[in-house]
Amino acid sequence: MQIQPVLAALGRHRLATVLIALEIALACAVLCNACFLIASRWQLTRINSGVDESSLAALKLTGYDDAKADDLNARVLSGLRMIPGMQSVSVINAVPFGEHAATAGITLDAAGQHFGAVVDFYVAGPGSFQALGLRLVAGRAPQADDYQPVHSFVPDDASVLVTRALAEHLWPGSDPLGKEFWVDKFHFRVAGVVAHLARPGGGEGGPGKIEWSVFVPGQPGQQLAGVYLLRAKPAQLPRVLRDARAAIARIAPDAVVDSQASRTLGDLRQRYFQQDRAMAGMLLGVIAALLLVTALGIVGLASFWVQQRRRQIGIRRALGATRRDILHYFQTENFLIVTGGIALGMLLAFGLNLFLMKHYELLRLPLYYLPIGAIALWLLGQLAVLGPALRAAAVPPVVATRSV
Amino acid sequence: MLKMNHLSKVYRTEVVETYALRDFNIDVKEGEFVAVTGPSGSGKTTFLTIAGLLETFSGGEYYLDGIEVSNLNDNARSKIRNEKIGFIFQAFNLIPDLNVYDNIEVPLRYRGMKTAERKQRIMDALERVGLSSRARHYPAELSGGQQQRVAIARALAGSPRLLLADEPTGNLDTQMARGVLELIEDIHRGGATIVMVTHDPELAARAQRNVHIIDGQVVDLAEEPRFHAHAAEAAHEYR
Repeated sequence: MQIQPVLAALGRHRLATVLIALEIALACAVLCNACFLIASRWQLTRINSGVDESSLAALKLTGYDDAKADDLNARVLSGLRMIPGMQSVSVINAVPFGEHAATAGITLDAAGQHFGAVVDFYVAGPGSFQALGLRLVAGRAPQADDYQPVHSFVPDDASVLVTRALAEHLWPGSDPLGKEFWVDKFHFRVAGVVAHLARPGGGEGGPGKIEWSVFVPGQPGQQLAGVYLLRAKPAQLPRVLRDARAAIARIAPDAVVDSQASRTLGDLRQRYFQQDRAMAGMLLGVIAALLLVTALGIVGLASFWVQQRRRQIGIRRALGATRRDILHYFQTENFLIVTGGIALGMLLAFGLNLFLMKHYELLRLPLYYLPIGAIALWLLGQLAVLGPALRAAAVPPVVATRSV
Repeated sequence: MLKMNHLSKVYRTEVVETYALRDFNIDVKEGEFVAVTGPSGSGKTTFLTIAGLLETFSGGEYYLDGIEVSNLNDNARSKIRNEKIGFIFQAFNLIPDLNVYDNIEVPLRYRGMKTAERKQRIMDALERVGLSSRARHYPAELSGGQQQRVAIARALAGSPRLLLADEPTGNLDTQMARGVLELIEDIHRGGATIVMVTHDPELAARAQRNVHIIDGQVVDLAEEPRFHAHAAEAAHEYR
């Protein structure tokens, strides 16, 4: 590449060069951060809930008399189990991608001095552990006598299962089985560890905390009623849920089905991340518009320069430049301008990321986004300049002899 | 060195065909200094652009240094222009964005010459045209005569075997023109073949041989006594 003479010539067109380099710098900064945002959102929408989403649905009832919760549970459990295709019905306080039911800060000592984490408790009745399809990686699944009465939002004393992620956070490098933790007066001991179980909602608190959840076996009752976990074969699940919602009118006329919360887990996941997908789509649009504007800027300037230097190109051709030499000249020129813009753009990208971190709780931009952004802009630059450069290469040498 | 047989150049539009050169024949021997003269629109510049492989021709044959050039592709023509031909244009044709040094370097870079050799050739050429001190100046900072000397240095640096000059003194005053012509004669004494297009009989008289073009054809000078006599007188005055 003939860098020195190209740089020398660019030095004579400083203003236009600087303006286009600034445009590229801005594109680089926005591109890197927008891509990072999209990737973060995309990663979030793909979180592993740890449960058999395709086979599960939630049914939530409201408006019933709390005093008759035991009776309601009994009627609903027995009534819904009669629906053809229903594999299981159990009581649970929350489901992944549904509403939070029991979120609390835990401590690793009874005195409440050693803070552990803020976690979500899945309090669930018999059959729910199997229905969820949780994968046990250590300890044991809940036994019949683990299901303790729930007097408040959780049982007073319970053998629970924690996720591997939470165990590693609370007791890094140690065996979590048998370990204890507390929420005020409530006492828990770890009887088992599951591979994954995402918190209700969809990962608030950052990617590292998505699986800080605890499975607590509990006896259905006044404090554990109204939300039911239905399991059926994936193909039959939508029909089973429809039938279940219809059956409630007959078996629990004293309750109202919460239609927003009564959906398949696949549907709940879809709806939960709807905004994230919309935002990713909007950012993609912004990126596309920005790249288009940048490309048009490059095309415009390159076309102007080709027109302006037509005679100069003819002179170069007369002096022995091949068409390829002329093409390479404009490509090199573009490469140098874009490289300058990228160098500045990387600094801007970091600055923008710091701003977003400070004001919008964005994570630190990983370094590998910078070369990705640079390559994208180099390619865009080369693509944008190709048309004008080919037009330049087609200028015949005889132009050198013509007067302007 | 340069031989054209029955060469023609036709410019075609949808409605008309215009012959810029018709049945054009010329034979310039190696080391000759030939002036090509003729009135405006006679085809002098067309002849020069074809001779310099800047343009293709419509019919006939053209041998340059023994090579029939009509079938050469664009790359081969560029290579010949770069290695064998030097150009001096009336409008100097320097690149305004590059300084004197970089301007002279342009054809040498296209030749793929090493930096050290390029530098040596450029400094030698600048020394020869008396502009060593202006290497970092831009064309706009030089007078017309100096710009033409830079153009000559650019041609010189490439050691061309054929130098094509198109009205090389057309934009210069008499004194500057004299200096430029002396440089061209110097290059000729160095062994290069010179073909100079001019409408100026005084300049033409300095060449070894004159070729006169009228209406795209070479005509016999013996049939143009008035021009011949005037040219001889002008040449005497110029010296």
